[in-house]
Amino acid sequence: MFEHLLSVIIFLPILAGLLLLVTPANRMVARSTGLIISLATLVLSLDLYAGFKATGLLEYVEFTPWIPSLGIAYHLGIDGISLFILMAASVLLPMVYLVFGTREKGYYANLLIVQGAMTGAICAADMVLFYIFWEIMLLPIFFMLGLYGGPKRLPATLKITLYTIAGSLLMLAAIVYLGVSYKAQFNEWNFAISEMAKLNLSGRVAALAFFGFMIAFAIKIPLFPFHTWLPDAYTEAPTSATFVLSAIMAKIGVYGVIRFVVPVFDEQFARFAILLAYSGVIGMMYCGIAAIAQKDFKRMLAFSSASHMGIIALGVFCMNLQALTGSIYQIVAHATSTGVLFLFAGILEERTNTRTIEDLGGIAAKAPVFAMYFAIALLASVGLPGTSGFVGEFMIILGAIKFNTAIGVLAGASLIIGVCYMLWMFQRVFFETAKPGSEQFKDLTLVEGVTFLPVIILIIVMGIYPHPFLSKITPTTALQFSNSTPVVAQVPASNVQAPVPGLTIEQK
Amino acid sequence: MGQSVNYLGLIPLFPLVGAVVIGLLHVFTCNKRRLPEKFYGLLACVGPALSFILALKVFIALKALPPESRFLSHKVFTWFSVGDLHIDMGFLADPLSCLMLLFVTFIGSLIHIYSIGYMGGDKNYGKFFAYMNLFLGSMLVLVLGDGPVVMFVGWEGVGLCSYLLISFYSEDRSNVLAGNKAFIVNRIGDLGFVLGMAFLFWAVGAQGFDYLSLKANVHQLTPGVALAVCLLLFVGATGKSAQIPLYVWLPDAMAGPTPVSALIHAATMVTAGVYMVARFSFIYAHVELAGTIVAWVGILTALLAAIFGMFQDDIKKILAYSTVSQLGYMFAGVGVAAYSAGIFHVFTHAFFKALLFLGAGSVIYALHHEQNIWKMGGLKAKMPKTYMTMVIGALALAGCPPFSGFFSKDEILYSALATGHIGIWLVGVLVAGMTAYYTFRMIFVVFHGEPRDHHAFEHAKESPSVMVVPLIILAVGAVFAGFLNFPGIMTISHWLEPSLTEAHHGSVILQVIAILASIAAFAVGIKIAYSKFGQGCPEPEFKGFAAFAYHKFYVDELYHAVIVRPYKAIGAAIWQVVEPNITDAPVQGASRLYILLGSAFKVFQVGYVRVYAIYMIVGLSIMSLFLSQSLN
Amino acid sequence: MIHNFLFLSVILFCLGIVGVIARRNVFTVFMSIELMLNAANLAFVAFSRIHESMDGHVLAMMVMAVAAAEAALALAVVILLHKHKGKLDTNVFSLLKG
Repeated sequence: MFEHLLSVIIFLPILAGLLLLVTPANRMVARSTGLIISLATLVLSLDLYAGFKATGLLEYVEFTPWIPSLGIAYHLGIDGISLFILMAASVLLPMVYLVFGTREKGYYANLLIVQGAMTGAICAADMVLFYIFWEIMLLPIFFMLGLYGGPKRLPATLKITLYTIAGSLLMLAAIVYLGVSYKAQFNEWNFAISEMAKLNLSGRVAALAFFGFMIAFAIKIPLFPFHTWLPDAYTEAPTSATFVLSAIMAKIGVYGVIRFVVPVFDEQFARFAILLAYSGVIGMMYCGIAAIAQKDFKRMLAFSSASHMGIIALGVFCMNLQALTGSIYQIVAHATSTGVLFLFAGILEERTNTRTIEDLGGIAAKAPVFAMYFAIALLASVGLPGTSGFVGEFMIILGAIKFNTAIGVLAGASLIIGVCYMLWMFQRVFFETAKPGSEQFKDLTLVEGVTFLPVIILIIVMGIYPHPFLSKITPTTALQFSNSTPVVAQVPASNVQAPVPGLTIEQK
Repeated sequence: MGQSVNYLGLIPLFPLVGAVVIGLLHVFTCNKRRLPEKFYGLLACVGPALSFILALKVFIALKALPPESRFLSHKVFTWFSVGDLHIDMGFLADPLSCLMLLFVTFIGSLIHIYSIGYMGGDKNYGKFFAYMNLFLGSMLVLVLGDGPVVMFVGWEGVGLCSYLLISFYSEDRSNVLAGNKAFIVNRIGDLGFVLGMAFLFWAVGAQGFDYLSLKANVHQLTPGVALAVCLLLFVGATGKSAQIPLYVWLPDAMAGPTPVSALIHAATMVTAGVYMVARFSFIYAHVELAGTIVAWVGILTALLAAIFGMFQDDIKKILAYSTVSQLGYMFAGVGVAAYSAGIFHVFTHAFFKALLFLGAGSVIYALHHEQNIWKMGGLKAKMPKTYMTMVIGALALAGCPPFSGFFSKDEILYSALATGHIGIWLVGVLVAGMTAYYTFRMIFVVFHGEPRDHHAFEHAKESPSVMVVPLIILAVGAVFAGFLNFPGIMTISHWLEPSLTEAHHGSVILQVIAILASIAAFAVGIKIAYSKFGQGCPEPEFKGFAAFAYHKFYVDELYHAVIVRPYKAIGAAIWQVVEPNITDAPVQGASRLYILLGSAFKVFQVGYVRVYAIYMIVGLSIMSLFLSQSLN
Repeated sequence: MIHNFLFLSVILFCLGIVGVIARRNVFTVFMSIELMLNAANLAFVAFSRIHESMDGHVLAMMVMAVAAAEAALALAVVILLHKHKGKLDTNVFSLLKG
């Protein structure tokens, strides 16, 4: 449709958001602008999806030199990995405007900006551009959490902001290192992500750069033990910010690992994968077990989200095709299940004015439609076959078994852990008899019901007929492994010199 | 070779569509004007009935094929395909799944009809039938699914329905807890199933992950992997089919409505584990150790559950333990590589146990949801048809010749004896006696003697015919199903032959020994039951071992103390102790460090401009000294 | 010969420093700063002379111009300070104290 489809998808929301901020628009205008823009983005993304050819390579490439002297370019493109995160963002975000209708202008403006920034980070094919979008997407979260969050929002805001920025700075250093290494090895400046895979990185500094990237992404995902910002931030943030954080932003962390760490630091990655995999699987169990002790359902969902992210990250660390594909599929599945559960939690909180599980009960009888939707999302979240959650989880466990039996068995435990806290919560909130807090609970309105319907249908379609989705992912993931048989085999040969002798950073 | 037919996928689809339609109708009308019950009842029976008709069609089509290529398959679509992993949403009907298919749809349809009466007046009438249809659909996916992954879809689907139906009366916390327990315990088993699938896939799955490809490539399995796969899959079976150590959920599952107990927790779902082992007989047959473990776990479960069953006072709990016990028999059968005997027992058990549960439901319905047998008594006069059918069911369960249970149980015991598993045979005969004892204890206490609760007795009357007719049909099945595998003729075993990997033994002497022992055990059991309860007796006090068994050896309490409480405690500990003090310590520490450094450097900030000037000059001086040094 | 100019420059500069550090009157401090600037100017001009280039002169002119601008601003600041606290003692102004 457009020549610069990706740019439009990125900057339309950002510009609209900025425009809203500088004009004295009222809430209604802000909300309808947000809705229209996000729907427009959705239409554009659907067009993008329809035109996506699944070649495995970057498509819809836009390339404009930006700082030519340093080889930095405005370089966008999308492949099977990023496509689905983009689609998740575009499909899910319009719901927020439909469901939460009475918020401040800044709330909607920030949502728009964060959408554009996240899309930018997903589409960026240049490291510096990626870094810029990566930082921008934190800003709206900072404002939303700090301005519109719950009573204990300020410490939570400070924690998430400082924590994330600390990680980002490490990543910036690593990006600079990569650029300089490229200059040293190929004698020209270049920051294109795809070019970095050509680098031959070894030695201590490369390992440090690897951890620079890894820690930045681990904080965003969040991987154990970098998750401690998450419970407070997810709980205190307004519903839509939590939704954005858990459904999409966390996924960009995983995306970063797939995009930067796996191809560029193949050697270091192969060396440390087992460590990272343990971190993922321990995080899954740790957060999953902690979830059962929560009294606040939003905090419980926060831990649940962290637990699932552990499994998703594990899929990336297992270094085989099934696990990686499963991970990417699970990214979307998790966005549609846990992400939507956060929205439901927001609705619950709004109607009952409480987040305490013990104060609720008997909602299934009061609100059958809401209960049905909630149950479907919940079942997807625990990975029941026939819902979106199963396919990805199954492939991740399958891949984990191949990678390392112990990790595979532990990963399988997610089947049990997830069910424990989810059923426990569902029993107390939806079953049993109504408590004073939930006695007056009203079922979803028509608008809300219709809003969630596409996602609920998506959950089921993705579970029953995942093939069309997977066939768009697989070419790209297969490409990641087409030259990967040597990746693992290269480990013993890590001391081999760079192809251009004397030009690696270490030897200067 | 077998044929590809395009109607296999429809068999599970009918009930599933029924579930969606009924479910949506219920959800959108339940808080407004409810739809009439008849409408739901009718709608609910359409799906199972259509599936049953198609199942007959499948049977006829299979019959027409030569035995060695008796299978029909239907690949609906590619489910997912990533690299070597290629999973089709495919269905396979071979003699084994066809047998399961026939009785699942048949008994399923009957129980749907029965439920129309039993559930009358319930405010969640529609919801009940939506779940029942969903269950039937999932069960058919489980049975028909071609390959372990598709089977797993049904496997988890029936688990979900079991959960939903156990916690059907969800206002009561204990019901929901029973549902949670069922789901979580099943999930523990499912973990084994998934891991077993994963190992199997990496060993031989790359050439195709459907049963026929697996069967063709099974010789490539190394013995270690084969053992691991067998045992892991069996863990899945212990969860679904309530074997040691995961049997604890099934007795609690009786919290659901009685038709659910009959359909899910007696006739169909719980036998899925046996079906799965038989399905994978091509692996189990090669791993003798795994088979022996399966057999011993099965027979010990049978013994344990029979002991519990002898001391229960809730009519449904008695039947539940009896189900666990009979499932144990089935595993003993498939464990000693007598797969057709195990499946045959699944088949007959479905009839008589569904019959007993529905009969019990009829009693419970008549007594307004009274389940304690010590509040019943003398109901023979009030409910003759229920009594008659229940007695038939009890005779079949107890293994009285020539009722169906006798043939199937005897076949298992004989196979154990013939393959040299004397220990299993002896325990099996003992359990047969115990079975006869607890079954007739129940019959005598409930139907014979004097009424114990006169008020309830006065109001009791025979159930409506919509409930009685299914009882009669099942009773006919319970009497005659056994003849389908009459020793020597073995119709079912021959029918199942193409699907199973098993060897047949023939020894008339052993056969006679096994039959005589079974009959003796039955006679002794029923004799003791009659002498104790035949003339009516008051509620006994449990002492010593009896009290211990009455409390089910405190296994539930043990699990609670060893697993549930520590799990919760760990959760709380992580949240309240580990998270703030250990995991978050580096972060907290970083911020504390900054505060500390700040207060340390604060002393230099005196606030007077001239002091800052001094710092500047000192700094500059040091710098210039350094520079002048380095320049020289 | 250059040494003499530089010694003078250093002496002037040190006097300025001592003035900034030791005196408490804002005006005196200000004048001491001017003294330091001029010390620097002297050094510039001296070097310029030796190297026979005009760069030093340019810089000296530049410093003078900046000093004049600074004086204008600084005097305005001093007046505001006096308005605010009624004193010209530097010890009174210690808002930066940690």
